[in-house]
Formats: sequence, C-alpha cells, structure tokens
Amino acid sequence: MIHSGQRGSVRHMQQALKGIFFIMPFLFGIGFIAPVIAELIAVAGIELPANLAPLTVGLLLGSAWGLYATIKGSWL
Amino acid sequence: MTIEAAAAGPAPDLGFAAPALGAPARHRAPAAADDPEERARLLRQEREVVAKYLGGARWIYPTFALGGFALWVSLFPLAMAGIVPLWLGCLVSTVIATGGYVTSHEAMHSNIARKGEKLRWLNELTGQVSTIPILFPFSMARIMHLQHHYHCNDPQRDPDFPDSAPSAWHALIKTWLNRQPRYAGSIHHYKRILADIDSPASRRAQRDTAMLQLGAMIFFFAMAWSGYALVVAAIWWLPRHIGLSYIRFYLSWAPHHPRDQQGRYLNTRVFKSKLGHVLSMGMQYHIVHHLYPNIPHHRLKAAYYDMRSTLAARGVDVSPL
Repeated sequence: MIHSGQRGSVRHMQQALKGIFFIMPFLFGIGFIAPVIAELIAVAGIELPANLAPLTVGLLLGSAWGLYATIKGSWL
Repeated sequence: MTIEAAAAGPAPDLGFAAPALGAPARHRAPAAADDPEERARLLRQEREVVAKYLGGARWIYPTFALGGFALWVSLFPLAMAGIVPLWLGCLVSTVIATGGYVTSHEAMHSNIARKGEKLRWLNELTGQVSTIPILFPFSMARIMHLQHHYHCNDPQRDPDFPDSAPSAWHALIKTWLNRQPRYAGSIHHYKRILADIDSPASRRAQRDTAMLQLGAMIFFFAMAWSGYALVVAAIWWLPRHIGLSYIRFYLSWAPHHPRDQQGRYLNTRVFKSKLGHVLSMGMQYHIVHHLYPNIPHHRLKAAYYDMRSTLAARGVDVSPL
C-alpha cells in the first residue's frame, strides 16, 4: 500500500523528470552537440580565428542551438 | 460471433481478439459482400491457410535479436579502439537498429513464446533488447503496437496515425518532424493515448521510456565529454534517427496509406515496394499480419500468396502483387 508521503515523493520525482526533459534540448546541445562539433572541427583540420579552441566553438553553437530548440520546441 | 464466423467453425488461436468480420471492403466482390454463406466459406479457406503457417522456426528471432544486440554493444569498444571505422560501425548499427523492430515485433505478439510457456522469458528478452538501439522500450512499443492493431487508422486511438501523409516525400519529412520535442506528433499522441488507457502497464511504459531515455542521455554525454563524441554519434545517435525514419516510413506509412478506412480488410494495403521484400521488411504483405498477427513474420509472404485468391474474393485489391 502506498501512503501519502510516498505518493508525494513520486509526484516530486515526476515533476523533476518533466523539468529535466523540458530542458533536455539545451542539455543535449551542451552535453552532446558541443563535443561533436569540437571533434568534427579537429577531424576536418579547420583553423579557427583568434586562437579559439574547437570546444569553445562547439559550446557556443551547441548551447545556442539547444536553447533555440528548448524555446521553440523544434530543432529547426 | 457473426453468422459466417459461426458457420466457418472454430478459429485457430490468433493471439488476440479478431475484429468482427463482414466489414465493407475497398473493392468488395458482390458475392462476398452480400452472402453470409459465401463469407463463411471464405473464412474457412483463410483459416485453412493460416493453420499451415502458424509456428515454424521461431528461434530465428531471439537469435537475431540477441546476436544483433551483442554485435551492437561490441561496436562501441571496437570503434573507440579504431578497429572498426566509424562509417562501417554506423552502417552495421543502422541495420541492427532498424531490423531490431522486426524481432521486437514478433515478441510484441508473443510469437516466440506465449504467457505460461517455458520460453516466455526468451520472448520478453528478445523484445527488451531489440529496441534499445532506437531508445524505445519494449513495454511502450508493445502497448502502442497492440493499440494500433485494436484501433487501426482511427485518428484518435491509433498511435501510428500521426504518420499519415499525402505522399512518400511528405511521409519521410513527417517521420522527422514527429520526433521534434514539442511538435504535435507521435510523442504527444502517445501521451494522450496512455492517459486514456491509464493502467499499470501504461504507467510502467511511461516510466520505462523516461528511464531509458535519461540513461541513454547520461551515456551520450559521458562518452562525448570523454573524447568519443563521434563514436556515439556514429554508432547510436545517427543510426537511431535513420532507423526510426525507416521504420515509420516502411512499417507504418507505406502499408497503411492512405489511412482512410478502418475495416478488417480495408485498413492495410497490398503494395509493391521499389526496394523489394527484404529492404521493405516484408511490409508489402502487411495485410496478412493484420488479419493474423500470430503468423511469424518470415512466413507472411508465403501465406499471402496462399491466401491471395481468398483475399481477392473478400474484395482486397491484390493487383500490386
């Protein structure tokens, strides 16, 4: 039998998960797209201006794209 | 039970409740439409064919599922060590991700082993591992697929209805649009249907989906920030997206287009695939699966040709094949 305290913590867990999934595109932009872009820049041997590190470019593009997808609800 | 079903005699065990017979067909033959005795005769013929194709080499599905999953897992260290090039890993993973739906699909219909049978655990294991590469837990895949069978082409209750599109190109684009975070596509349709079902199984399916996707994201981020971003992109992320689009196109849009009918002999069409039998994953004969889901996937083609004249008499347009 589930008592009210357990139901409350289940509800809190559901709310936390909903929050995480809502901002998942932004997290995906930082956590995945940024390092993918950095590795692609390195593999392609692209020279970056102003001594920018590939990961810096990756983070700028990945976080911006992820934020856009979070706000708009679509990656395009 | 309808008159013709009673007259046709006992039905083979189909694994789920067959819908009422006698619905109007797209190109119904007059005799079958109006004469219960004729419909009973046709049903007897169908069942005689079905009895020949139930069972068979069911071991192939667990073999492919477990072998494919082991190969898929091994692709990560092999690609990380540079033993397998990324393009090859991506290709192999895409085949496993896409084909995994077929093995999982057999498990959804309990075609490997039914509840209570000795090898039931193998049926469930086959289903569980098959859809991990596409990040679609078996509990969710099964509940949604069975809803699709129960309510095929119902705009509100068929979970696959968002795949409907006026042309093949529209359908391909829609497979991608439907996966966007807040697009009113598959995800939201699923959520609404699950809320309507509101059972322990539907709640478990939602929990499994959240856990699998969260776990996968943690894996993606950990791999990516450890210097293997392209490995995880090539072995998991890209194959998943290609696989999902392929599955949605060939397993949902193509056999059900134009989704404007819901009758037993109307909700699925026979079509000729430009990519042939294997690359279209046997979907050309999908009508046989919808009529008799416990015929194993690899026997659908033979069952279709054996049943073809009966289907034609039922009014099904069998002219493409």
